[in-house]
Amino acid sequence: MIKLLAVIERDMKKFMRNPVVILMSLMMPLLYLVILGNSFQGKFKGLPVAVVNQDSGTYAIRVMENLRALEAGTKTVNILYLKDRNKAVNGVRNGIYKAALVIPPDFSKRIVLSRKPEIGLFLDNTDNISAEAIRNAIGGSIRAIRQEYLPVREKLDEIYLRSTDLYSMVDYYQSLVPGVVIMAIFLGTMISGVFNLVMDKFLGINESYLLAPVSRGVIVLGLIISGLTITTITALAVFGISMLITGIPFSRGIDQGISIIIVVVLTTMALLSMMFVFLGRANHPRVVGIFSGFLNVIFFFPSGAVYPIESFPNWLKAFAKINPEAYAVHALKTILFKDAGFRIISSDILFLIAFTAIMMSLAIVTFKRTL
Amino acid sequence: MQKPYSIEVSGLTKKFGEITAVNDVSFTVSEGEFFGFLGPNGAGKTTLIRILTTLLKPLTGKAVVSCCDVSEDPESIRQKIGVVPQAMTSDLDLTGYENMDIYGRFYSVPGRERKERIASLLDMVGLTNRAQDLVATYSGGMRRRLEIARALVHTPEVLFLDEPTLGLDPQSRRVVWEFIENFRAKNSLTIILSTHYMEEAESLCDRVAIIDAGKIIALDSPENLKAQIPGNDIIFLSLSDLSKADAVQTAVAKIPFVHKIQMEDNIMRVYVDNGAQNLPSLMEQVKESGETVSSVTIHRQSLEDVFIHYTGKSIRDEEAKKVSFLIGAGIPRTLGR
Repeated sequence: MIKLLAVIERDMKKFMRNPVVILMSLMMPLLYLVILGNSFQGKFKGLPVAVVNQDSGTYAIRVMENLRALEAGTKTVNILYLKDRNKAVNGVRNGIYKAALVIPPDFSKRIVLSRKPEIGLFLDNTDNISAEAIRNAIGGSIRAIRQEYLPVREKLDEIYLRSTDLYSMVDYYQSLVPGVVIMAIFLGTMISGVFNLVMDKFLGINESYLLAPVSRGVIVLGLIISGLTITTITALAVFGISMLITGIPFSRGIDQGISIIIVVVLTTMALLSMMFVFLGRANHPRVVGIFSGFLNVIFFFPSGAVYPIESFPNWLKAFAKINPEAYAVHALKTILFKDAGFRIISSDILFLIAFTAIMMSLAIVTFKRTL
Repeated sequence: MQKPYSIEVSGLTKKFGEITAVNDVSFTVSEGEFFGFLGPNGAGKTTLIRILTTLLKPLTGKAVVSCCDVSEDPESIRQKIGVVPQAMTSDLDLTGYENMDIYGRFYSVPGRERKERIASLLDMVGLTNRAQDLVATYSGGMRRRLEIARALVHTPEVLFLDEPTLGLDPQSRRVVWEFIENFRAKNSLTIILSTHYMEEAESLCDRVAIIDAGKIIALDSPENLKAQIPGNDIIFLSLSDLSKADAVQTAVAKIPFVHKIQMEDNIMRVYVDNGAQNLPSLMEQVKESGETVSSVTIHRQSLEDVFIHYTGKSIRDEEAKKVSFLIGAGIPRTLGR
């Protein structure tokens, strides 16, 4: 026990003498929140679309009105009016516009005569995602031009879908908070725990560890506990700050707080032990750098923090089944947004405990006690 | 009566791939003895010490340190030995005191005893004033002294010093030697020292094992080792004209007081009796064979000469280090021989 505490104290002291790293481990996840939030954006905004109207008929005017409404309302597109059709299409080719919409001179006439009226939409389909968004937004507003002329009456035989939000509103930024906390945890496990061991090896000072009568279990456990302490504190701080930034209420009381701490601690333990298994035998901090950068991406993105796991292909779903971050994200989202009791996240907790137990045993068994 | 052994080694062998770093080594060290390994870099000294201090497992052979066999109960051995590894191993981010304190706790030294011991050890190595400073601010010599003090914090039965003065300036080296000698005068413990400094082995050790290419090639007290070499003085002649070297060698070899001649580059080592007295007649002989000598030195036999006598090469010879093309030189050489 004395030995374990000595290992922990040594590691913690070394870390605390590096305040820049502590500050960075706090700041960086918060920056993730800002950068990730703005680069993934739930909805598209301000996509430049060139519009060439060659028709002066009523329907063309109506299309233009709807487009303006689209521009002013959801702000998906940013409309630029041109006269020359070729200029507009070339603009798309040159990447100035994401799309060009051309209303031909006979558009209104064809509508009146019911002769297949057409509007040309030239899309920059190399940018798949925004092309799809433009197609949907403009398609919707064009289809709408005829509906307004229907007499106002209720169709009693039509099925109406009445959707009800079960939980209080969760905006896009708020929904990223669990992911950001997981990021903070991962960052913490990158710069503590096994990294300190690899650094000691690199500096050649691990020899003094190995020469002392401390068992491998004590070394591994000590490093994990000190990493756990540091990471839990920074992760909870990041949690609190990002809740403040995004305006998630702290109102749910002690139960919620305790559940959050339990999930954060378990996730940290799981990741620290996992990193120990992968990197316990690495000799160079560069190996840790490469490996943890890679692990961060492959564990974070399929965790459900940004995109729902249900939409993954089957093989990725299978991976998410063994991804501890996926369980952590699920648990945190459940606690934060659904105000659910401990019972609902118990399967997440059980998985994290089992994962930690397996990884920790592996870390201890594979730790090399000799040089 | 023979004192009990502190270390018993028989038939110890260790290989790294193709290289045999330690080759069938056997020796014993008595309790309280100051025992030295002397050899060039790459001779196998560090590997031998790492096996004895449980950091490496031997391929074959048996080594008993203090109480136990290194292959059977390394944990008990670790509790009883103190080691100063070749590389600096103190934590730069901790203070001198913290380094000692945490180490003391690794060995379960109880609180009050630990405090007292650290204070007295720091005093002995002259670091009391700097105890609360980070080790990062220490000089190489101070760091080394701290590490020696740290290895003694749990009152070990055997102390291993692996090239403790490597990379230190002559002054710091002397400070380290004085400390080791003083400590030994007051405390009875077995000390194993490895070094490639002749004067270090000569002035500190009771017995010295000369190691080359993983084998012990001579083992005795420094005095006895020196006595084994014919000719107690050496005259170094720097020859100006190497083409006549053979002629000079044959002429000099015939002189009765000359025991042995060795050539290294343009230096001729002549092992003689009573060097000072016999120098004029030696010089005469050399002159007669038409050689000019640019400088002459007389030198009393030292362990270096013993080393050269046994290995045939000067201790400065060093093998080129091997660096992996796959990983590069970025990884420190933890498996140095």
